[in-house]
Amino acid sequence: MNTIPHRSIPSQILFAHILLLSAAVAPHYQHLSLWLVGFYFVLALVRLVIADRVDKLPGRVLLLLLSMCGLAFVALFQSNPISKETAIGLLLVVLGLKLMELRYRRDIYITVLISFFIIITQFLYNQSMLLASFMLLVTLGLIVVLVEVNYIQPPKRFVLPLRKTLILIGQALPIMIVLFILFPRLSGPLWNLGLDNRNAITGFSDTISPGSVSHLSQSKAVAFRVDFNDPIPPPEKRYWRGLVLWDTDGYSWTTGNAIYSQSETYKAHGKPVHYEVTLEPNQQKWLFSLDLPGGSIPNTLVLPDFQIKTKEPINRRFQYQQLSYIDYSSSNLSDAKHQQGLNLPDNITPRMRQLVDEWLASSASNHEVVNAALRHFNQEEFIYTLSPPLLGNNPADAFLFETRRGFCEHFATSFTLLMRIAGIPARVVAGYQGGEINPHGGYLIVRQSDAHAWSEVWLENRGWVRIDPTAAVAPERIERSIDLDDWAEGAPIRFQNLDPGLLKNLIRQLGFGVDFINARWHRWVLGYTNKRQSEMLSMFGLDFLKGKKLGIAMVALAALVVLIITIGILRSNRISTDPILKIYLKFCTKLAKQKLPRFSNEGPNDYAQRVIKQRPDLADPVTKITRLYIGLRYGQVCSAEARVFFNRLVARFSP
Amino acid sequence: MDLTLDLSRFIRRAYPDKEGSTELTKRRIYILPTRYGFLFGALLGAMLLGSINSANNLGFMLTFLLAGLGTVSIIHTWHNLLGLHLQPGQVNPVFAGQEAHFSIHVENQRNAPRPGIVLEAEGKLMSGLDLDSQESGVLSLRLPTSERGIFKPGRFTVSTCYPLGLLRAWSYIELDLSCLVYPEPGSITQSLNPPSYTPSATGDRGVGTDDFAGLRQFRQGDSPRHIDWKAAARGQGLKTKLFGGDRADQHWLDWDAIPGFDTEERLRRLCRAVLTASEAQQEYGLRLPGTLINPARGTSHRHQCLAALALFELGPPE
Repeated sequence: MNTIPHRSIPSQILFAHILLLSAAVAPHYQHLSLWLVGFYFVLALVRLVIADRVDKLPGRVLLLLLSMCGLAFVALFQSNPISKETAIGLLLVVLGLKLMELRYRRDIYITVLISFFIIITQFLYNQSMLLASFMLLVTLGLIVVLVEVNYIQPPKRFVLPLRKTLILIGQALPIMIVLFILFPRLSGPLWNLGLDNRNAITGFSDTISPGSVSHLSQSKAVAFRVDFNDPIPPPEKRYWRGLVLWDTDGYSWTTGNAIYSQSETYKAHGKPVHYEVTLEPNQQKWLFSLDLPGGSIPNTLVLPDFQIKTKEPINRRFQYQQLSYIDYSSSNLSDAKHQQGLNLPDNITPRMRQLVDEWLASSASNHEVVNAALRHFNQEEFIYTLSPPLLGNNPADAFLFETRRGFCEHFATSFTLLMRIAGIPARVVAGYQGGEINPHGGYLIVRQSDAHAWSEVWLENRGWVRIDPTAAVAPERIERSIDLDDWAEGAPIRFQNLDPGLLKNLIRQLGFGVDFINARWHRWVLGYTNKRQSEMLSMFGLDFLKGKKLGIAMVALAALVVLIITIGILRSNRISTDPILKIYLKFCTKLAKQKLPRFSNEGPNDYAQRVIKQRPDLADPVTKITRLYIGLRYGQVCSAEARVFFNRLVARFSP
Repeated sequence: MDLTLDLSRFIRRAYPDKEGSTELTKRRIYILPTRYGFLFGALLGAMLLGSINSANNLGFMLTFLLAGLGTVSIIHTWHNLLGLHLQPGQVNPVFAGQEAHFSIHVENQRNAPRPGIVLEAEGKLMSGLDLDSQESGVLSLRLPTSERGIFKPGRFTVSTCYPLGLLRAWSYIELDLSCLVYPEPGSITQSLNPPSYTPSATGDRGVGTDDFAGLRQFRQGDSPRHIDWKAAARGQGLKTKLFGGDRADQHWLDWDAIPGFDTEERLRRLCRAVLTASEAQQEYGLRLPGTLINPARGTSHRHQCLAALALFELGPPE
């Protein structure tokens, strides 16, 4: 009895409704078994075809069969039974089955509620602004359908339910904002369902082998963004340190078993650079910071070689503040480390040793050996390319003497090996280099295409020194980013032109604008964590609001908002006085000033008679006005001219 | 002693004012979630838990947006009824056993539409309508009758679930509604139809039925059967044909003419006789213990007779 039963759904509404439900479901095709998504869409299509011929809807037996079929799909095609995908799959099946029971208007409610839940599950996979706006539109559409369903007759104009929906959402928004800002955030999950499966998101793995960085480099995906509190360092100083790789088997390099007997130290020159990094999830356990990091980040561990490790893999956007000293000189190296920096794999070839021997013979110091090596890379026919040819089991040898085409990891790893052969402790460092400055936000965007690898060599008196052999081959790489837009398979790398064409520049500017909005979105919407919440509260001097108090404050503020909205609604459309009555009341006021007020129990006719009795001179206008008023207000006269005339009569009336 | 607590005493109802109309004021409107509202609440709880657990800010946003919508819709649903004016409309008498049809005028004085206004009685949906801004409409209330006399429908409910159907606001209405219920027409009784002729020297002045006696201007209440449609079609205006004869066809429908039945059965039979006589365009009078209605014709006379039968021994109509 709560709702109006047994009223059929107009076919347009049905069509729009199913379209909206399908829009809420659609993005799941990327995350669920296609059988399950297909199950829903087939049923939705069937329901669209049936349209208003509800007698054609499946009967009980068929419905039971369909339900079993859906359950079987969930059981068969969802590989992991205890995963969120299984739960979402069940939701999809239920929604599809409910469409088969969609007969009357009241049946719409349940489908709308299920689809709200499906919408929220979309955000488990994708929190982009695009998806969020799309889902907001779908939600809006579903609300319009709900409003429409609550009409008795289909509304005369479609805009009416839409307008009502916009009003409702407009009033719900401030409540949403209050709740969103003040709802106490927890730092961790309530419980761990173990449902999270790791999505393949690009990022450095803990091993570097030929081709791994160049593969990463082909993605324009954002690795992290950096907001600098100090002036942004020049491109050649922007080395983002991530992994330090010590051990190699001759093919790939790993961070190795840590022999962390003693922490490395360094002497800083100049002032530190302060910045905040927003790292995209990469399912890895390390953070990136400018060479060399000087600060500590909560819940992380700084290793002696300045790698920063987190306890858990980064599976959601992560923000941290860091400070770095760009100019430094490191000082100590333990014997164990010294030895680790010289370890060689088994597959060092004689021609590699011969090459190093040549350098050693012509050099007086380790420093000169390094320069000789860099000269070698620079003067021989080495080509810097994103798609180097495949190398065999001994990539360093093949690269150095045969193919001579490689990406930064080829240069860095082979250079490091050569240094070790020469008896100079060396290691490979992987991370990012450079980054684009977004002119709109003044922050730095570091993309996967900025992934880079370089070497560090230990020189007596100078400590660890960064040597970037790539710079010897392609110095532009360090100054500018790789231009992926014009890159063709196998071609030498082109770098972003400093003076690109007008159109390209426009596109780049547009890209910067979009990235700026995205960055704000990440920072203020998705990145609004308990930390940012407490920062925000302390900004307003509300630090004392914590836990329970914050909850109470939230409820109180939300209640205040609701109260304001209520008052607004009550004021908005008070009973409006009839315009004719308003004019007549003006006439009464004029007479009242002549000490002839109208009594509350007096009808217009009686009043007129009394006035005329006391003021016979007013007989003519008073009679006319009263007659017109009665005519206009109670029916017989209703032309627009009569209204205007009435208004004029009263306006001119001066007793 | 009746120990059961009559909870209905505590219900606030909307009573009519002096002019019979009533306004749904703040204190008279109740509001509670519908079952979809409760389901919606449960859904929000689940969504909130999920959002907390996955620290998903978009999840929080959607949850809070829906929570805001739910909250705002409380006000809107309540406001959809607030200030609605109700006024009883005209009620036509019915025969016992037929449905009494009450029309209730609903007036929206507000400068905004009020869709989804619904009238319920005895737990059943009666009618509903969407009111545009400053529009009036009619809600109808149809209730079955069983006994002759004055039928009062008692309390009914005006409610709305607009805009989202998550909440239902309602108000108990007790308007001064009454419907006159004529006795159920019984079987035809021969003894009530012996035509008694009263000779008249002047004839019946054109109110008989036998011979055509001329035309006169149409008056309100003339039977459509006697209108000279041909003349009307010629554009001569509405004229009523007069019939006359030297004998008036006059009946007395007499309570005492049908002894041997109980009161109700007698009334039913008299009711049938009234209908038969009026259908035959006869002139008839009604004689009941304590009531005498002189012979006449026409709808108002018919109503007078039927009302007398309906209210026989029940006291005067209020």
